Amino acid sequence: MSFETLVALRYLAASRRRAHVALISTISMFGLAVGVAALIISLSLLSGFQDRIRAQMAERSPHLRVSPARGPILAEPGRVREALVSLRGVIAVEPAIEGRGWASGSAVESTLPIRYRNAPPGELSSAGEGGPPPARVSAAVATRTRTAPGDLLRVTSSRTRLSPLGPLPVTIMFRIADIRHAAALEKTPDIEVPEDAARLLSGILSGARAYEARLADPARAEPVSRAVSLLLGRSYRVQTWRELNAPLSFALRLEKGVIFATVALVIVVAALNIVSNIALTVVEKKRDLGVLTSLGATPGSLARIYLTLGAVIGGLGTALGVAVGVSASLLLDRYEIVTLPADVYLLTHVPFAVHPREVALVAAFAMATAVAAAALPARAAARLAPGEAIRLSR
Amino acid sequence: MLAVRAKSLSKTYMGEAAPVTVFQNLDFDLEESVFAAVMGPSGVGKSTLLHLVGGIDRPDAGRVEILGVSLDDLSPKERARFRNERIGFVFQFHHLLPEFTAEENVAFPHRIAGVPAHEARQRAAALLDRVGLADRRSHLSRSLSGGEQQRVAIARALARGPKLLLADEPTGNLDSESARGVFDLLTELHRERGMTTILVTHNPELAKRCDKIFSMSREGILPATRFSG
Repeated sequence: MSFETLVALRYLAASRRRAHVALISTISMFGLAVGVAALIISLSLLSGFQDRIRAQMAERSPHLRVSPARGPILAEPGRVREALVSLRGVIAVEPAIEGRGWASGSAVESTLPIRYRNAPPGELSSAGEGGPPPARVSAAVATRTRTAPGDLLRVTSSRTRLSPLGPLPVTIMFRIADIRHAAALEKTPDIEVPEDAARLLSGILSGARAYEARLADPARAEPVSRAVSLLLGRSYRVQTWRELNAPLSFALRLEKGVIFATVALVIVVAALNIVSNIALTVVEKKRDLGVLTSLGATPGSLARIYLTLGAVIGGLGTALGVAVGVSASLLLDRYEIVTLPADVYLLTHVPFAVHPREVALVAAFAMATAVAAAALPARAAARLAPGEAIRLSR
Repeated sequence: MLAVRAKSLSKTYMGEAAPVTVFQNLDFDLEESVFAAVMGPSGVGKSTLLHLVGGIDRPDAGRVEILGVSLDDLSPKERARFRNERIGFVFQFHHLLPEFTAEENVAFPHRIAGVPAHEARQRAAALLDRVGLADRRSHLSRSLSGGEQQRVAIARALARGPKLLLADEPTGNLDSESARGVFDLLTELHRERGMTTILVTHNPELAKRCDKIFSMSREGILPATRFSG
């Protein structure tokens, strides 16, 4: 143990005898613990919700999408398909056939610009032979066309076909099978239709605009994406589900960042207590600093005494805060203590998820803030004129 | 060789209302291995002179050389190391660190120098034994008597085997018997270790037992009166 640590620890231990310093030390330590616990609980709460949104995102959107870097359609769809199928972890590969058009319901005269695409095979089953093909529409489209499941919806493609009367728009009538509810920023198509209908609307009779793959483990999308890029070269664009949902991912990160920044203010306020606590010790121990200087201590080592003191108070406060924050989050999640009305939130309780990386980040932030807070009075200690400190303490 | 060579020292402190000039153009030379007393009325700057000589304070003007080394030429870090190895301080109010035991206080100069804890404690114990406090090693410094505290302070000052000992009224706060005991200890250690010692004192009886007496006044420092050696 260096002599700086020895002095710092002894000052802290001896502060019990100096009631005012002990009180401020305890307040600054508990203040920091409260801040750390609050930050961990808030982040766990947010992670709990966000993990669900991400899981939903990973479930609904393709994990990988390979589209041409230029042009509307894949030049070698077979090669793309083979490349995707050949990779480990890829469990399904489907073509994406999509385009733009307009939709209109029978109740509303005006038409609504929409994006349509093929639904994953097996997800939309025809109601019966001969009737209109089924379609799944987003909640927004259902609202604006005033349609409900079972209603008919007319979709007109932006593509035209030539007829003896001249170019005619391609129009298909669908029966709404399902309405999809999605998160606000989730990138979903407006209308999903069976593959053959999508091919008819888009005029892509073979091949695809893009190929989409699902992975056994969505978390491994990035390495698989790199492997696909290597196999296919630069004329193809490979996107992961995170990139495809970039606005939502960004919004989730932003949300977490904002919560971190605001709740972290509690830690900053607690750190101000550390400043006053250590400043008080510097003033009280001014004579000791002068004496240590006379014994050969450098200004740097005087500063280190107080930085160590800050680090010890910070460490104790952080450890306590981490213990309280993590156990509170785990208990809240385990025993489903905060309940929600299931019909509003689709969840019966508030989920909490403790991410070790976030806990480490909070702990590192709290420690860094505590040491930075100690740095202010420590600098003052280093600049103290030792002769004066001894002269004035007679 | 001169142990101390101070040339044209000036020092002014920022007082509460106005700057206070302690002294101007003060010269002070002292040969090696001399036990010197510095006397004079309060406020003439005896302690300030010790602080400047010991390098814990910087003069506004002038130069200080200790054992041939100019303190001005050293960086703060080098000056701290020089102080640790060559200079020992004893203050009027012992200035032991109250949270630490006698042994820990004496071990501090070693710990600051980076000597491992165990070895530092052993050396401190030996020194405490030398100043007659072997049985007080593990006592907290505040639980010792005034005379004992000052002995611990002397042991701490001598921990690193300094060549120059600066004692600022070490007996000023003690009863006459303890004062005599502390002074006797200082003289013994001075001879034993071949140090140069500067003792600031108000006690003419003790001063007379020193090799030289310097008298300080507002006008400066008077040439030494030599009693022995």
